[in-house]
Amino acid sequence: MTRPDDPSEALDPTQLTAATSLPLPRRRLGRGVTLLLVLMRVYVLVALPIVGYAFVRALLGGS
Amino acid sequence: MRWNAVNPGMARAVARPGAVMLREDVLRAHDRRSVAQARAARRRLRLLWMLVGPGVLVMLGENDGPSMVSYATTGATYGIGFFVPFILLTFVMAFVVQEMTVRLGAATHRGHAELIFQRFGPFWGYFAMADLVFGNLLTLVTEFIAIQAGGLYFGVPAWVSVGFGIAAVCASLIFRRYATWERTAMALAVFNLLFVPAALFAHPNGTALAHALLTWGPLPGGVGTGFVTLLLANIGATVTPWMIFFQQSAVVDKGLTRADIPQGRIDTAIGAVVAAIAAIATLVAAAPLFAAHIDVSSFASGADFATALRPLLGTAGATLFALGIIEAGVVAAMTISTSSSYALAETLRTHHSLNLDFAQGRLFYSAAIVSAVIAGAIVLIPGAPLLALTLTVNVIATLLMAPALLFLLLLVNDREIMGDLANTWRANLAGGTITAGIALVGVAYGVITVFPGLLGK
Repeated sequence: MTRPDDPSEALDPTQLTAATSLPLPRRRLGRGVTLLLVLMRVYVLVALPIVGYAFVRALLGGS
Repeated sequence: MRWNAVNPGMARAVARPGAVMLREDVLRAHDRRSVAQARAARRRLRLLWMLVGPGVLVMLGENDGPSMVSYATTGATYGIGFFVPFILLTFVMAFVVQEMTVRLGAATHRGHAELIFQRFGPFWGYFAMADLVFGNLLTLVTEFIAIQAGGLYFGVPAWVSVGFGIAAVCASLIFRRYATWERTAMALAVFNLLFVPAALFAHPNGTALAHALLTWGPLPGGVGTGFVTLLLANIGATVTPWMIFFQQSAVVDKGLTRADIPQGRIDTAIGAVVAAIAAIATLVAAAPLFAAHIDVSSFASGADFATALRPLLGTAGATLFALGIIEAGVVAAMTISTSSSYALAETLRTHHSLNLDFAQGRLFYSAAIVSAVIAGAIVLIPGAPLLALTLTVNVIATLLMAPALLFLLLLVNDREIMGDLANTWRANLAGGTITAGIALVGVAYGVITVFPGLLGK
């Protein structure tokens, strides 16, 4: 017999905090995925200084 | 259990019998019981009403201060033309992206940040978090710029408006209840539609709107540096990294399961449609500035638009515009600070829910309040470059979106955790096209910034 207010009855077993606090296993990253992640990181590291440059140029009145 | 059978990677993540139940479990279970009753009674509208929230909030939350300024700048620079269908297209993109977060949240019951850390490891996790924290803090600053600027239109001192914004963020958290937070934010978000009556005061030409939608034109001035910058700003006004993190965490906090995915999709679609209407209304409301040949390049905020629009829309129209800018800032401040809270707590593997009490959720609630206080304080610094910052934030959001989309696509194709909810080839084609398109526009921005004479003005 379960209590009507028992959370485990209304929630999916994988939804309880006791379950979600268990970490999922790491996935193996293939070469293609790793390359994509590295490329995106390079993209961000190149793009942000350019935005910074544009920001400073705007501050200086476009000079 | 069948669900675990289709998500092999999730099978081991099941609570042991007799596991400790937290306050968030009890409150979520209470909400889920109501959902189960509505579903059993086949009360479809009630079921939908109970399950909408994350999608509507994420879309209307992204119609924030800098976004509305971007739409207004677009209307004032190009009038009614190319950008009307383009804005619609960006919301279709937003729907495609955000729908994936609904499936991820419902399938894994985990937030986006914790999934990146757990599946890709801390090296990539910290990169993703650095992007998010940087983007969120900058965006939050611009929300307080919007709140402050809207207040200035009504003669309210900047420190009062900023204090009001911080108080709104704190007040929304005080109930320690996801459902209350969500419904309060949704009630405020409805006022995003203030831009619709403001647009009506501009007496828009229906034929010009229909012509723009059918022909993607006109585009006065053609393709130049300003056009590419506005293109990027309009994309950044609709799809940004915080939206991915927020909606997935909100879906988890609300307790959505795979049975709720159809309603989650409808929720996201409703949000996209309403937000697109408000966005296009903002462009239309500002279009008289284009017709009057008013140069908006020196405008500092949405309040400057309201002031400039007063002779064209009348006092009522301009007031609605200023109120809309304040609303956009307040709702976005609530959702973006909450997005930061979810992501930070997930990264540090502490409790993360708006159903937590203050003792358990000390770090979670503190993150939202501290980020709001820091952002508000930056706005009050005398001489802070608020104009340049507002214009730059959407561009940064767009540039950070490409790596965020890559993580999203990799996760939503991860069959170990998604099972049969993984992306279809059609969803991958759409997601891949969006990622490549955003990355290419970012590259174009970089090229024209470094070589400003390449495309002309």
